[in-house]
Amino acid sequence: MTSSHVMKFMMGLYLFIFFTYLFGPLIIMSFTAFNSAEFPAITPWECFTFRWFNEGKIAYDGQHLAGLFTDWRLHDGLISSLIIGGGVVLLAVPIGMAAAIVLTQVKSQLRDIYYSISIMPVLFPGVIIGISTVVLWDRLAGLGGEGFISEIGRNGIFLTILAQTCFISTYCFLIFVARLQRFDQTQEEAALDLGASQTQVFFKILIPYLAPAIASAAVIAFLASFENYNTTVFSILSDQTLTTVIASKVRLGISPALSALALSIIALTIIAAVTYEILRRREEKKYALSQEKYVTEKAAISRIDKDYKVGFKIPKGIVAIILLVILCSYGGTQILKNDLYGQSCIDAADKEKKSKFLDQLQVLEQNELSDEELGGGNLGGNLDYGDIFGDPNLFQDFAF
Amino acid sequence: MSADVELSNVSVTFGSFFAAKNVSVKIEGGEFFSFLGPSGCGKTTLLRAISGFQDPSEGNVLIDNKDMSGIGPNKRPTALIFQNLALFPLMTVSENIAFSLEVRGVSKTDRQKRADELLELIALEGQGEKKVHQLSGGQKQRVAIARALAVEPKVLLLDEPLSALDLKLRQRMRTELREIQKRVNITFIYITHDQGEALTMSDRIAVMNEGELEQVGPCDEVYNNPRTPFVATFVGENNPIYGRIKSIDGKTVEIDTPDGIFRSTINDNTNLNINDDAIAFVRPESLFLPRSDDNFDNSLPVIIDSFEFEGNIKNFYAHLKSGTKIKFSVPNAIDTSHIKNGSSINLGFDSQKSIILPKAPLAID
Ligand SMILES: Nc1ncnc2c1ncn2[C@@H]1O[C@H](COP(=O)(O)OP(=O)(O)OP(=O)(O)O)[C@@H](O)[C@H]1O
Ligand SMILES: [Mg+2]
Repeated sequence: MTSSHVMKFMMGLYLFIFFTYLFGPLIIMSFTAFNSAEFPAITPWECFTFRWFNEGKIAYDGQHLAGLFTDWRLHDGLISSLIIGGGVVLLAVPIGMAAAIVLTQVKSQLRDIYYSISIMPVLFPGVIIGISTVVLWDRLAGLGGEGFISEIGRNGIFLTILAQTCFISTYCFLIFVARLQRFDQTQEEAALDLGASQTQVFFKILIPYLAPAIASAAVIAFLASFENYNTTVFSILSDQTLTTVIASKVRLGISPALSALALSIIALTIIAAVTYEILRRREEKKYALSQEKYVTEKAAISRIDKDYKVGFKIPKGIVAIILLVILCSYGGTQILKNDLYGQSCIDAADKEKKSKFLDQLQVLEQNELSDEELGGGNLGGNLDYGDIFGDPNLFQDFAF
Repeated sequence: MSADVELSNVSVTFGSFFAAKNVSVKIEGGEFFSFLGPSGCGKTTLLRAISGFQDPSEGNVLIDNKDMSGIGPNKRPTALIFQNLALFPLMTVSENIAFSLEVRGVSKTDRQKRADELLELIALEGQGEKKVHQLSGGQKQRVAIARALAVEPKVLLLDEPLSALDLKLRQRMRTELREIQKRVNITFIYITHDQGEALTMSDRIAVMNEGELEQVGPCDEVYNNPRTPFVATFVGENNPIYGRIKSIDGKTVEIDTPDGIFRSTINDNTNLNINDDAIAFVRPESLFLPRSDDNFDNSLPVIIDSFEFEGNIKNFYAHLKSGTKIKFSVPNAIDTSHIKNGSSINLGFDSQKSIILPKAPLAID
């Protein structure tokens, strides 16, 4: 064993801990979405179920636990989140782009000042942005009587779009600044020289160049808006977004439906990322091919002898995949063998819990104290003290 | 269609710094005119003043006798080829070439037709669908030229377009540029710091130094009759020999130097008097190895330091007794085996092949 082995081992261990820290909670949470228990848990495992994705359940004690599909508050929240996200993208991307373009035009010392001011909104606490937006629009809404202004000034979705745009446009600004820094300004001049007007330069040269930045700014803006809580919780007023709905649910006690929601979001994210990666690689391949074609075209006698390694390449993630398959099949067989799935299992579990619940109820009923006892006896006042003072043995040792 | 370009007393300042100072020159329609000067002397600045990207702080730019002040670059009958070409990387070659037509609202079929015509002109037929990054350096060059020519400008401005190319390609592009200019017959204003480039292509050249024009004229005149020590040393190579005027007799002047008295020629408009500080210039190719049947006006005793083989010629580096460095070149055909490092020989040169100028700073290379 050499020091480099140790180094490698430590590195591996570190990575393992790091990724466990990062993804462990998410993985555990994903499993709880499939457990039929009313509280998100892996142990004790009750039954394997999809109900938290669908209808949820009415618990034996009469409590209604909505599933992902039937929870209208989540749905409403999701819809307002989507509307707000769209609105923020529409506002923040152009604002960020305009600010970044202005930055390229500002020369001299003003530039630093302008830059600092532009990025300031990210440094403000979101709470303050939310509150100040509400305060301002409340005033504005109060000014104009019962008109349009007062309508939108008290519209939570509108205010949230404005408030979030405040700082999200700064993210967009930074993305555009990064891209514009690599822009060759002589291209603009070349276009002008060839007779283009300023507007044509903007639409034919600058916008195509900025297209990738526009796309990433839009995605970032949407995500930032979608997950925002601090600002939204103030500016949304009487409406609800997904995050505020989730937050209020958590306050009441969490249900596995939230795990189901989280898992859905994770799945969507992974699918989007994978699709993007596949598309990107395809694009890259196309580009590489066209380059290669061009090279071979150019070299009259191609001295580039390429021999392609045809064959199956072992994917790098094979170990992880095998591990996952083994785990899943093990879990699956355990669930099947022990009949831990389906309606029958759930019914059985419910029955058991119900009977336990009834037993407990009975015990309670048996132990029920009389009104007088509950009232703390003759001494009155606090019930607990009442009990204490009610204990005849308590003062036994003291001889009066 | 070509147009005259006239600069009248054009100055361009950045703060208190003069990038161009009082430049006056008239460029004829259809001429191939070059501005030649070292890096940072204000060539690009001048070109930007002509194309409209830089307003002169003083003076006027006239194109076809029309004052251009207040007219933007997209309204001037000029097309500029940038130092870095500035092709549009997101467009195909054809789209690049037809860009100026597109912004003028020309229909797609007409654009394609014109692009194909121009691709033929620059010998890139059938390559219009390529992206810019798929072209070689020389091809990019030609695309930039085609793009500039698409709207038939009256004046084409070229800012060191060949500087990024390798030597062979540069030489081929020189001829090609010259041919394209003859074919389209418009005014070319060319900028370069490479004197070889300027001399081979241009009808006339203007030598610039620190924002000012030092000399304007046909290539051979500038080469043979430089007006200032700067021009004498910047355009081609020259050996300066410092001294004092001893006598003036018509066009022939005697100069007294620490290495002896030499006879040289004075230009008509050079103002020199007896005892003035002056420099005599002799080009390396005007210095000859002595032969018995030759009869030179001057004899220059030198000590050989080193030798350099360039192919068609051999360069010798030597010094005079006073320490002045001298370079001379001999055609490869002449046998020089007897010249060794350290050997002393007498070189000969004619007074007509030497120019005398008042003492002033040289071009530092
Ligand atoms: N925008 C500007 N602001 C300040 N100074 C400038 C500006 N543009 C150019 N200069 C200065 O003006 C002088 C001339 O610049 P110019 O670009 O015309 O040089 P050039 O002759 O084209 O040089 P090169 O051969 O290196 O391209 C330089 O000293 C440069 O520093
Ligand atoms: Mg320049």
